[in-house]
Amino acid sequence: MSNEANPNGEGRTGEQPPGAPAPTVLSGRQRLNEGLWPPRISRAQLIVALLLFVLGLGLAIQVRSNSDNSALRGARQEDLVRILDEVDDRTQRLQDEKQRLDDQRTELENSSDQAEEARKQTLEKERQLGILAGTVAAHGPGITLTISDPSGAVEPDMLLDAIQELRAAGAEAIEVDGVRVVASTYFSGDPGAIEVDGREVAPPYEFKVIGKPQDLEPALNIPGGIVQTLEKEQATAQVARADDIVVDALRPAERPDYARSSPQ
Amino acid sequence: MIAVLGLVVGVVVGLLVRPEVPAMVEPYLPIAVVAALDAVFGGLRAMLDGIFVDKVFVVSFLSNVVVAALIVFLGDKLGVGAQLSTGVVVVLGIRIFSNAAAIRRHVFRA
Repeated sequence: MSNEANPNGEGRTGEQPPGAPAPTVLSGRQRLNEGLWPPRISRAQLIVALLLFVLGLGLAIQVRSNSDNSALRGARQEDLVRILDEVDDRTQRLQDEKQRLDDQRTELENSSDQAEEARKQTLEKERQLGILAGTVAAHGPGITLTISDPSGAVEPDMLLDAIQELRAAGAEAIEVDGVRVVASTYFSGDPGAIEVDGREVAPPYEFKVIGKPQDLEPALNIPGGIVQTLEKEQATAQVARADDIVVDALRPAERPDYARSSPQ
Repeated sequence: MIAVLGLVVGVVVGLLVRPEVPAMVEPYLPIAVVAALDAVFGGLRAMLDGIFVDKVFVVSFLSNVVVAALIVFLGDKLGVGAQLSTGVVVVLGIRIFSNAAAIRRHVFRA
């Protein structure tokens, strides 16, 4: 864009030209060509060149600062405040979301902890019940009762008495010659050929009993108790304490045919 | 011709040298540039109309820039800077378009 022109021009630049200018012979295009082509150095040319230089400078700086830096540079104070507010809001929202997710995670962890705890308790209970039902092996302090019967005089009910006595004294797991004693255990047969739960056992009968030895031993040895009764029958009963008795005879878990567990 | 060279040199210098704009002036620079553009288009049109006077051009150029910056400055002080600068840009844009239309009629006769 250039300028310069015939000196007869007058009027204003930025605004609409006021009145009709003096009639000229040249058309606009001719004037443009004239101003552009023969490069003449005139005061008007130089001044306009200076101003256009300033304009170009400003233009370049502005374009540069706009493309170089983020939009924040050159933004006005209120815009910056608004942007800051928006960023704050966003931060707040993200914080809230983080808090919510954290809570959720804690909750999930707690519930999985609870589930784990419940599972452990169930497992523990299953073990305890398994010891009672004879489906799992057990070990612990207890006594070994050995009844030798050289004369074949020991009858099944004497063994049953011994079991009852041990139970009364707090025996928790009992095994007789490799047969686990549970609630439904029965003794049958004849002296010398005693059957426990239908399995024949031979003397000496060995009872492995888990329980408190200090309770079990006196219970057997009390006057008129099992030991004395057996000795009357020419049998001998030996009681030995042990720190660790292993009762590992097992019994299959049987599902009852008719009885079902009731919630209460 | 020399004026065109001045513009080109200005752009080149602005791009090559990285002048640090004072922070005070920075917000007004875009508006000032638009105002200067308006003055340039007005001057070009006046030239094509054959009524160009360099003194008038200089005065209109400088006063355009100063007034535009002043309006934005006032707007900032009044708390309506964004709206006011938008208004200034709209007005200057309309004027640039009408001047460009007049120039087009001269150059392309259409």
